[in-house]
Amino acid sequence: MAESNNQDLVTLTVDGMTTSVPQGTLVIEAARQVGVMIPHFCYHPKLTPDANCRMCLVEIEKLPRLQTSCSTKVAEGMVVKSNVPHVDEARKSVLEFILANHPLDCPVCDQGGRCDLQDFSHQYTPTTSRFTELKRVFPKEYFSPLIETQMNRCVQCMRCVRYCDQVMDVKALAPSGRGTLTEIKHFSAHELDCEFCGGCVQICPVGAITSRLSMYDFRPWMLKRTDTICTYCGDGCHITIQKKQDELIEVNSTQGVGRNNGDLCARGFFGYHASVHPDRIMHPLIKQQDGRFAQATWEEALELVAEKFQGIKTAFGGNAFGGLVTSRCTNEELYLFQKFMRGVLGSNRVDSSARFGHVNGTLPLLSVQGTHRWTATFEDIVDADALLLIGTNITETNPITGLKVKQAVKQGHAILVTMESLLPARGTISNITLLATHHLPVRPDHYHIAIVGLIKSVLDNGLVDPGLETRAPEFFRAIKAAIDSTSWAHIEEVSGVSREVFSQSAHAFSSSTRGMIIVGQGVLRSPRGAEMVTNLLDFLILTGRHGQPGCGLCPLAEENNDQGAIEMGATAEFLPGPIAIGHHDTRQALSKLWEVDLPQEPASSLMEMFRDAQAGQVKAMYIVGENPVESLPQTGKIKEALESLEFLVCQELFLTETAQLADVVLPACSYVEKDGTFTNTEGMVQPVRQAIDPIGESRPDWEIFSALSVVMDQPMEYGEARDIFKEIRSVIPGYGLVGPVATRPTPKVDVVQQYLQEGFAHGLATRYVCTQDQPASDTPFLLASTQSLFHSGKFSTRSKGLLQIQSSGAIMLNPSDAKKLGIASGDSVCVSNAHGAVTTIARVLNRIPPDVACFPEHFDQDIRCLFELHIDKESHVPYSKLTWVRLERVEKGDV
Amino acid sequence: MLAEKYQDHIADLLARYPVKRSALLPLLNLAQKEEGYVSESAMKEIAEILDLTPPQVYETATFYTMFNMNPIGKFHVQICKSLMCGLVGSDPLIQWVQQRLGVGPGQTTSDRLFTLSVVECLGSCGTGPMMQVNDDYYERLSEERVGRIFDELKETGNSSLKSGPFMVPEPISR
Repeated sequence: MAESNNQDLVTLTVDGMTTSVPQGTLVIEAARQVGVMIPHFCYHPKLTPDANCRMCLVEIEKLPRLQTSCSTKVAEGMVVKSNVPHVDEARKSVLEFILANHPLDCPVCDQGGRCDLQDFSHQYTPTTSRFTELKRVFPKEYFSPLIETQMNRCVQCMRCVRYCDQVMDVKALAPSGRGTLTEIKHFSAHELDCEFCGGCVQICPVGAITSRLSMYDFRPWMLKRTDTICTYCGDGCHITIQKKQDELIEVNSTQGVGRNNGDLCARGFFGYHASVHPDRIMHPLIKQQDGRFAQATWEEALELVAEKFQGIKTAFGGNAFGGLVTSRCTNEELYLFQKFMRGVLGSNRVDSSARFGHVNGTLPLLSVQGTHRWTATFEDIVDADALLLIGTNITETNPITGLKVKQAVKQGHAILVTMESLLPARGTISNITLLATHHLPVRPDHYHIAIVGLIKSVLDNGLVDPGLETRAPEFFRAIKAAIDSTSWAHIEEVSGVSREVFSQSAHAFSSSTRGMIIVGQGVLRSPRGAEMVTNLLDFLILTGRHGQPGCGLCPLAEENNDQGAIEMGATAEFLPGPIAIGHHDTRQALSKLWEVDLPQEPASSLMEMFRDAQAGQVKAMYIVGENPVESLPQTGKIKEALESLEFLVCQELFLTETAQLADVVLPACSYVEKDGTFTNTEGMVQPVRQAIDPIGESRPDWEIFSALSVVMDQPMEYGEARDIFKEIRSVIPGYGLVGPVATRPTPKVDVVQQYLQEGFAHGLATRYVCTQDQPASDTPFLLASTQSLFHSGKFSTRSKGLLQIQSSGAIMLNPSDAKKLGIASGDSVCVSNAHGAVTTIARVLNRIPPDVACFPEHFDQDIRCLFELHIDKESHVPYSKLTWVRLERVEKGDV
Repeated sequence: MLAEKYQDHIADLLARYPVKRSALLPLLNLAQKEEGYVSESAMKEIAEILDLTPPQVYETATFYTMFNMNPIGKFHVQICKSLMCGLVGSDPLIQWVQQRLGVGPGQTTSDRLFTLSVVECLGSCGTGPMMQVNDDYYERLSEERVGRIFDELKETGNSSLKSGPFMVPEPISR
């Protein structure tokens, strides 16, 4: 090793073993590296040392007294002794104090068998104690529907409290009282109201905090573990599913593993029961003449589908088919679905739920920088020195990416600029805007003009990358001209943010060396989403951050495999790769591999399919795991379109509104019942593993596609999901190299060059034009359909755990608006506009901005009728997340 | 509501510290002064003022024994039980007071007049046994004197036997 590298290393001896570790390492960690496990309770690598449990005492030569190894940093030449008799004696004494109050209830404790205290007791203590006093007993109190506390067992290490504060930034746990009588509580006797991330359950070294979902149901040694990936958002968290026989017992995650490093959110930790909901479809269903479903065998169902598909193909050609697949499927299934649609049915009408917003991120990335993936990773977020969050309530949509942002700000002291409609008010769940250095409170429909304001600040304050003007004069002049057409007065008036704040934010970002932009649903799922992302890429280029290491624009995927859906070619405009659908060489290669001729017709996306279905051009649709009837507003006339089909096949877990319209319903497996891979939002391909046997007669989606192709006499046969992955690797060379960190693609120089020379001109005439949607005087409130931390789509609403935290929707509004309307939390409110009127419950929240109301999209069954559907001309994304409404209080008697 | 009633005082408290959170104890004191105890609504309000969560305020309030977490009577009787007062007879005195008031430590009489607390050293060791009632010290107590103090407090809300902030101990007579 070179001399210079050695400077940061410190050499020390632990129990006679010499090792070199980086400066600043704690003794306990250095010992771990040479295989010396020092017992501890309060220490945890994620938390700052507290040294309150005194269990990790060691002798360090030349230092007086024993030292706590969790709070002592290594020094050159240090000699640490952990296995000498008097250290053992000291630890025994510490344990004796802890055990003085610990109940002997191991036989009924869920932690029994994996408890640190149990292990150390076996290791250190005699079976008797010198204490004759009574043990402290806390009265049993109800804590929360999902998390249970048994304070008699608490060793007061404060790990839960510190985790809740330092990692989650929620601060919902309070150690009340003092000394032995310290007790972990929420707020007085109130039941816990927090993010329910389960972190306290996971981090408790004893059985003081446990999950109620599996209380008394198991002993740890009965559990069989399966390491897999969570399905509830694009973060792609590692989860370990623990089952007893075929019963799901719990989900946890291990520190140091996965993209989440063991941290989870409520969805990941408590949401696992959705898969085993009793409403799961157990058998294939075929619709009878009377409109009712009858149970069928797989043979009957597949043969019927094959026969109908063949018939329609012969009569109308491949273009009469439309296919829609959910991005919750594995890569293998998405790949096979598009292969089935394009290869077997011969249709280019293929789309996935990535259409609902994620394409707004990937399409601009692809056209500006030639790569559709993040050019940075989660590690880069943590290491960033400036982060710009736009339109993302990241805590609720992508909680674990949110943790990386929190870590960057709290530990790395990164500058955080948030452009978000949420107000920086503290609540029971954390609020990322509270950590912001500069917060730009922008109404959900004003992100576009606020982004223009940001770029204008860069130009007006001379923050442009010095070389850019000579390198790309046309680009610079054109963008400047486009931006100049909007005046500061207009920007300030519409966005409500002052020019000064824009300047400060632009300064903060452009003075960084590692700057990242993270965009969320507020941008991707709003009208002009793709334009806003392109503008933000311009912003990156102007500030000179584009293409720099650790910099980049990162769109957040909502569904676990949105990214995979695009890469597998399960969207209209792409073949696997993603390669543009018209790319000649790729078409040739695929034709050869699949042994078919690829269809020539132009591709059609989700909304075009429905349009053509209503026009009678699409005769049959194959919908896998999607429920467009419910996820799109009634004004989109999706139901009418589907009813006009000759034949509809749905492959589903549940009999959804869409599945009820189907002629054949095929029962599919959920993520816990199948193997495959998911690609997370940062482009990390991770293995999904089967944890339990398929429910009922359900089969993995890929198996159904494969079986159907066999019945249709155009077999796509695979023995297991891995075989499909091999084929994917042959189509996309090097896809999914498995490693601990996602690869960081760099922008393609030629594509960026092309963009700077002429590509930028595409759409330039419109994408900087600021339009303003004025509310009508009778509908003054902007209603936004937003994601909740506790749910993901409609799937999670089948999870009994999550339903205990949030089981219904409520319209959330600002206290000042509520006061004006005379509304209090819990009141009935009538929400109405020209499309209809809906009565729901109000919830007053400080963080909701004035003149805005939010409603969780997971419970929008009734309120959906108020939204209109707009379709993006460029990216064909259907937008239906914003509408204007009026709110009125409803007297109890009127309901 | 504290914020409205003590607007200037709170602004002054906040101005004293570089970090907002440091004003937590002064604000808890203010809340206790206002209602006699630290109420839940006060803790929530303080959390809002200081940009903390209510559990964080609760945590601090419960750590300090001199914050009352429950409503107390008009007179908060705190009798010293530490060693010095113990040597000169605080134990039987506490017993007597319990009988006289008919309540145990931490309890309030049914007429909401007296709350009895048994506390550690109040720093008046030369003049024990002693007690503090609200803001006043009462020293060199005997059953008779305590009886008089309670009667006077009950009748007039004040007692002539209070010794003010402190009393100088007498030299030991040999």
